[in-house]
Amino acid sequence: MKKFTYYFKVWWMMSKNSFLTMLNHRIGVFVFMTGKILRFVFFGVFIYFLLSKIDTLAGYSFHQTLFFFLTFNLIDVISQFLYREAYRFRGLIVTGNFDLVLIKPINALFRSLMGGADILDFFTIPPLIGIICYVGIQLGPTTGQVILYILLVLNGLVIATAFHIAVLSMGIITLEIDHTIMIYRDLTNLGKLPIDIYKQPIKGILTYLIPVGTMITLPAKVIMGLVTPISIAASFALGVLMIVLSLKFWNLALKKYTSASS
Amino acid sequence: MKKYFSIFKISFAQEFAYRVNFIMWRVRNVLQILLVFFLWSAVYTNPQTELFGYNREKILTYVFGIFILRALVLSSGSVDIAGEIARGDLTNYLLKPINYIKYWFTRGISSKVLNLGFATVEILILYFFLKPEFFIQTNPLQLLFFLSAVILAVVMFFSLLVLVNFITFWLPEGGWASQFLIIVIFTEFLSGAVFPIDILPQTIQNILYSLPFPYLLFFPLQIYLGKLSTQATLQGLAISGMWMTVLIVAMRRMWASGIKKYSAVGR
Repeated sequence: MKKFTYYFKVWWMMSKNSFLTMLNHRIGVFVFMTGKILRFVFFGVFIYFLLSKIDTLAGYSFHQTLFFFLTFNLIDVISQFLYREAYRFRGLIVTGNFDLVLIKPINALFRSLMGGADILDFFTIPPLIGIICYVGIQLGPTTGQVILYILLVLNGLVIATAFHIAVLSMGIITLEIDHTIMIYRDLTNLGKLPIDIYKQPIKGILTYLIPVGTMITLPAKVIMGLVTPISIAASFALGVLMIVLSLKFWNLALKKYTSASS
Repeated sequence: MKKYFSIFKISFAQEFAYRVNFIMWRVRNVLQILLVFFLWSAVYTNPQTELFGYNREKILTYVFGIFILRALVLSSGSVDIAGEIARGDLTNYLLKPINYIKYWFTRGISSKVLNLGFATVEILILYFFLKPEFFIQTNPLQLLFFLSAVILAVVMFFSLLVLVNFITFWLPEGGWASQFLIIVIFTEFLSGAVFPIDILPQTIQNILYSLPFPYLLFFPLQIYLGKLSTQATLQGLAISGMWMTVLIVAMRRMWASGIKKYSAVGR
């Protein structure tokens, strides 16, 4: 508990600094925020007009399709809010400044992953949760389904964390972060809509190999009562497995760090 | 002219210097097309479906057409202009006997040639795996109109991108945000890159047609698919031409006043 409080204080301090830095670019922040909201609105509008002409998409109604899109956004926005620092990691590696992170009395992974929360994304989380509640109610879930949904969203965030750790680890080894993380985002973007729209082998890859389905589609399906207990158990097991493997990969990558340029 | 040809050759070689970056960028493009392809495939599962004025063959041609046109119209290195102005690196170019706008246009052409080459190979690979139905336009007049619309789109997008980057003269920290809003968000959604504009209600379409965005990707593809009458095509080409002129004039004026504002901060 003492350790948790310590890390929370550090996170709070780093997030505050990140917020203050952002305040220096008020106009840019406003324009960027507008862009993010518009992207969400434009895609929502597209789903609305598309589903107004066709009854279902891969067997899902308008509200169901919208719920997949909203769940994708929730996991995407929370992971960007928490792990924005990963996007700045390359600079630390190529300059050798990662040395300064390693010598501090703080976990290097924690600092590299959560060293600068993105407050812009934080502001979009409450309204997003409000919309999810509104659309979710239209689907008439039971209390048990809602609890499972929350747990599976948390599991989705665990998988997202594992992906981010893997990207950072690859960054140490290959010095390449920017495109790898964008490829991760493009892959998760495939979960904007239910993965049932994809054909094999892509559907299989998205379910088992790069588990975008487990991360995004499965939580949404729970609310619709379309998931078996075995799938739920398997998805939690996958979450644990992925985080363990990613941590092992991180430890391996740390040993490969050469401190070049420092 | 000779010096711009040298810039073209150097830029081309430079793209190969960062091979992993380039390959990763192309991988991203392929991933982005998958969502759109499978989405429309799911909508048009029944080959007889006719929706929003498209059948399965035409909508899949639209998806692949977007892939090619993105490589041709939307690929450009000019996104770096904002950084060069903000860091003061622009000074290096001002000291050289080259026109800064022509320099970036040449680099853009080099980027387009490379991207188009890769996109063509990727299309062949995707065709092999996905086996989509294609609509082949054989009318020479339509193909000529299509080519004209694409050329106008290339110049239009370049001018728009440079114009947005020039905002950095006045807002040194605002260049990235403006690019995100206008180039990433508006261009992606309002040019038809994510979905065809004609699925929207007519009123919204009419508003969009008065903006430059639909003429970047959507309009050329409508010509290719033979969805427009000759009169509508000529009218669209005239509007494209008008927007191209407006954007070029605005770009030149912004450059002229921006360069007076430029103080080489960071140098």
